Amino acid sequence: MRQQFQYHPRVGYHFVPGLKARIPREGGGGYLVATNAQGFRCEHDFTPTRAAGSRRILLFGDSFTAGDGVANAQRYGDIVETMVEDLEVYNFGIPGTGPDQHWLAYQTFATALDSDLLVIAVLVENVRRVAARFRYYKDDLGRRVCYAKPYFLLGPEGPELHNVPAPREPIDEASLPLEDRDAIDRVGRFPRLNQLLMKTGTVGLAHRITGHSSYPQYDHPDDPDWRLMSRVLAEWIRSHPGPVLMTPLPLYYHIEEIQDPAPYQARFRELAEEVGCHFHDPLPDLLTHSMDERKRFRFGVDVHYTPKGHSALASSLAPVVRNLLDAPA
Amino acid sequence: MSYQVLGISAFYHDSAAALVRDGEIVAAAQEERFTRKKHDPAFPERAVNYCLEEGFIDPSDLDAVVFYDRPLLTYDRALKNALQMGDAGRDQFLRSTRSLLGQKVHVEDIVRRCLGSLGRANELLLCEHHVAHAASAFFPSPFEESAILTIDGVGEWAALTVGRGDASGIEILREIDYPHSLGLLYSAATHHCGFKVNSGEYKLMGLAPYGEPRFVQEIRENLIDLKDDGSFRLNTDYFGFLTGDAMTNTRFEELFGTRRRPPHEPISRHQMDVAASFQVVIEEAVLAVARFAKAETGSRHLVLAGGVALNCVANGRLLRAGVFADLWIQPAAGDAGGALGAALQASHINDGARPRPARPGGDGQLGSYLGPAFSDREIRAFLDRRALPFEHIPELDERSERIARTLAEGKVVGFFSGRMEFGPRALGARSILGDPRRADTQSKMNLQIKFRESFRPFAPSVLEEEAGDHFELDRASPYMLLVADVRKEHRLPRDRSKWRSEGEDMMPIINEIRSHLPAITHVDFSARVQTVRGDTNPAFHRLLEAFGEQTGVGVVVNTSFNVRGEPIVCTPADAFRCFMRTEIDLLVLEDYLLWKDAQSPSDEDEAWKARLIADDEGESAVRAPSGSGPVPVFGDPAIAVEAGRIWREELAGAVGGRYFAARPDAGLPTYYLSREGAGVEGLRTARLGSANAIEEALLELWSDARDEGLRAAAPALAALAMRLKSLDTQDGELPEFVYTLF
Repeated sequence: MRQQFQYHPRVGYHFVPGLKARIPREGGGGYLVATNAQGFRCEHDFTPTRAAGSRRILLFGDSFTAGDGVANAQRYGDIVETMVEDLEVYNFGIPGTGPDQHWLAYQTFATALDSDLLVIAVLVENVRRVAARFRYYKDDLGRRVCYAKPYFLLGPEGPELHNVPAPREPIDEASLPLEDRDAIDRVGRFPRLNQLLMKTGTVGLAHRITGHSSYPQYDHPDDPDWRLMSRVLAEWIRSHPGPVLMTPLPLYYHIEEIQDPAPYQARFRELAEEVGCHFHDPLPDLLTHSMDERKRFRFGVDVHYTPKGHSALASSLAPVVRNLLDAPA
Repeated sequence: MSYQVLGISAFYHDSAAALVRDGEIVAAAQEERFTRKKHDPAFPERAVNYCLEEGFIDPSDLDAVVFYDRPLLTYDRALKNALQMGDAGRDQFLRSTRSLLGQKVHVEDIVRRCLGSLGRANELLLCEHHVAHAASAFFPSPFEESAILTIDGVGEWAALTVGRGDASGIEILREIDYPHSLGLLYSAATHHCGFKVNSGEYKLMGLAPYGEPRFVQEIRENLIDLKDDGSFRLNTDYFGFLTGDAMTNTRFEELFGTRRRPPHEPISRHQMDVAASFQVVIEEAVLAVARFAKAETGSRHLVLAGGVALNCVANGRLLRAGVFADLWIQPAAGDAGGALGAALQASHINDGARPRPARPGGDGQLGSYLGPAFSDREIRAFLDRRALPFEHIPELDERSERIARTLAEGKVVGFFSGRMEFGPRALGARSILGDPRRADTQSKMNLQIKFRESFRPFAPSVLEEEAGDHFELDRASPYMLLVADVRKEHRLPRDRSKWRSEGEDMMPIINEIRSHLPAITHVDFSARVQTVRGDTNPAFHRLLEAFGEQTGVGVVVNTSFNVRGEPIVCTPADAFRCFMRTEIDLLVLEDYLLWKDAQSPSDEDEAWKARLIADDEGESAVRAPSGSGPVPVFGDPAIAVEAGRIWREELAGAVGGRYFAARPDAGLPTYYLSREGAGVEGLRTARLGSANAIEEALLELWSDARDEGLRAAAPALAALAMRLKSLDTQDGELPEFVYTLF
């Protein structure tokens, strides 16, 4: 399989530029990935100025925005582009990252680009990634390797950047101090148990019985992980000279009504009000679909959005984007 | 609208996938290159993935998916064979049934599950095995019309077909059915000589020139009845494949007067003579059937496919015989090529399309560079992620001159350039290169890089325009499938009668300097030539030019970029791993040059080397250099053993450890035994007094590996043997067998 990502000293990594690859998918099959000359999974090469008559949004997010599991054209960003007139969507999605690295990507690659709207799509799960300093990935032989990532800590003046340039070499977890081992993103609170529950189709039942919350970081506004992510987002949003739309992307826990979304919804809404950005919560629109349909919004154990999931999300987002773009400046 | 077909071969050996669009070959690759399992027979999920990636299409965009075999016909053969063999065929029938019913009969379900779609046809198309081979040979060939010859072990029923191809397509005219199979005959000889079937046939071919064909009469009189019309029948009394998994039986062994060589035993003259004899018979058979094909079709051209078509010695003889004015051989002649043939056949049936020649008179195989390429950005991403030191030389001339200079200094280069080859041969895209002028190139590349036997010759890649200056070859051989002799004026005088007087020690013969290009000149002055054109592989061609400008010969040694037991490398990561685990001096990844002495070795690579040395998978022994002595380790000569061979893992486990290292300044690797093998002093003094006695003890040890005491004694025995040798006592030089045990 091709190496999809290349090292970047400030962002951590991004896609290899000019890549054309087909990535195998859970349960057979695969999906086509094409990246632009700048190393993002975007159908457009990035140019500073817009073509006459066209409008442009800069879309940031993680693998749900980059489109893991689906072809470029099947992603919600690309579908929105087809639904809104004269629009080009610059997709800056980077799998395996959170808003901290998205902000760094924005600073590195996007500030010189004209735009009409900055869309920050935050997967609900990203609150954990922002707090992490290390993350496991798989190498070309499928072995798990741990890499350090750029990260922020909250200082008296706001978020302070650390670990830049990010080390290139893999980290041996055993060599880390204990407190650093706690800063490894292990993909969930109980990743192995959760995988087992997913495979047996009992995750919903187990979560309901136990009242388990996957993201307790949203339960209180003062939670340190939420505070870190919200300050990163706030700084980013305030730094952008144009309009910003923040949209939290729900996971299947919320789409399939396994867990209560209210805490995360409240936190993001409070943040949007605080910084004065536009806000769109797509979950209510997604919940209008039948449960059978909603279950087909993810692949299975791979919880990324399927083409149906992307399509539903795009249908929720496109009118909001259109209204914002059509609104008088 | 394009017509796109995916061809698939799987479940026998060397599975593969190929994508054809409007008759043109878009992509083709063997599954082994991606899974890193040599000759991987599994469903080629990753090769399929690659083909769709190269075409950048989804399975739903395919018009058809074609499998290269009709599983029910194969089952029919297994059933009828079992009925004919009675009780004796029961076990084999059960195995066949399990295999067929387990996967092959359900191939459509497997393909649908893997792809999620069978394309617009919405059903899996099936192409007969030998039709797929025939299509793979004819459609990409440069010929408007041609005779077609396909020869392999067995397809559904057919083991050999004669056909004709023209604008209307392919017609099979005659076939010879299982069990009468030249492929199986040759595989039986391969098995008898201790090589792996479906893998070691080319080793047998390489061994043949060392031998005398003294068994030809026995083979003709007992094993195969060759008719004047080119047909033949095998005497199945001598073969084991009808009733079981073994290729041969005791009658076969009795015919040749010896049991099958166990894979770990050294190769003897007997195996060389067997190899030479079967080579003669195969060549006779191929020539006879080619004459039949000529008579049947009247064509001036012949195209070949099937595993036997990889016997380039036979191909060379066929060419020289002049039965046909020209030949074209599918480079992926084995089962992998069936995927391509099946796709080409379906495409041709749809709209009559076939690959267009890349140039007038050329073929449509695109140099067989049909696998993945990796962009400059991808390679840079790989290097950056690992922080590997490199030189970047984007300018082709400058880079070629630098690489050529490195080769001319006697260094070995791993060359990774452009799209990976489809088929078993490395053709300058995934190749290890060396200087053919040096006498030590062959042994260095064999032992320090390929970790394999030293008898096998390397092939030359030569500028097409210069080929006639070095070889008796009057045409292009772009796929390394023709053998030609080194020109007479370049040969050096030699005394073949000396061969028999050298006993079992072949090293003096192997190391003999036979021409101005000793590293690629086989013992019979032949060479398996690849001619290289600038329009097919510009980077490789420019390198050959640069080497020619510096040395006067536009020829390099070209061997596949892998080590023994592993498939040819596919990705930059594969290439780097192979580079770090061998004594390759320079790795060229497109525009990037990585020097070995600038890299940091990893524990993982060192451990891998040790495992490879321990895990001999049936290759014959590497020979130690004559006259080389022991090298003290830890200051103790008693625990030093120098040999080009193999410390088996179970023995290492028995003695509690092992240390392995390569001596960088030697022409051959040095393997050191660990001092944990000590503690058998009593055994040594009580039983061993001479080199011959040690040899006997080692033989006993080897034949009774369950004896823990003897196993533990192995290091000490070997050390003592080396000491005796170094002191030149008792019997003088130790027999080579002692070396080859290790």
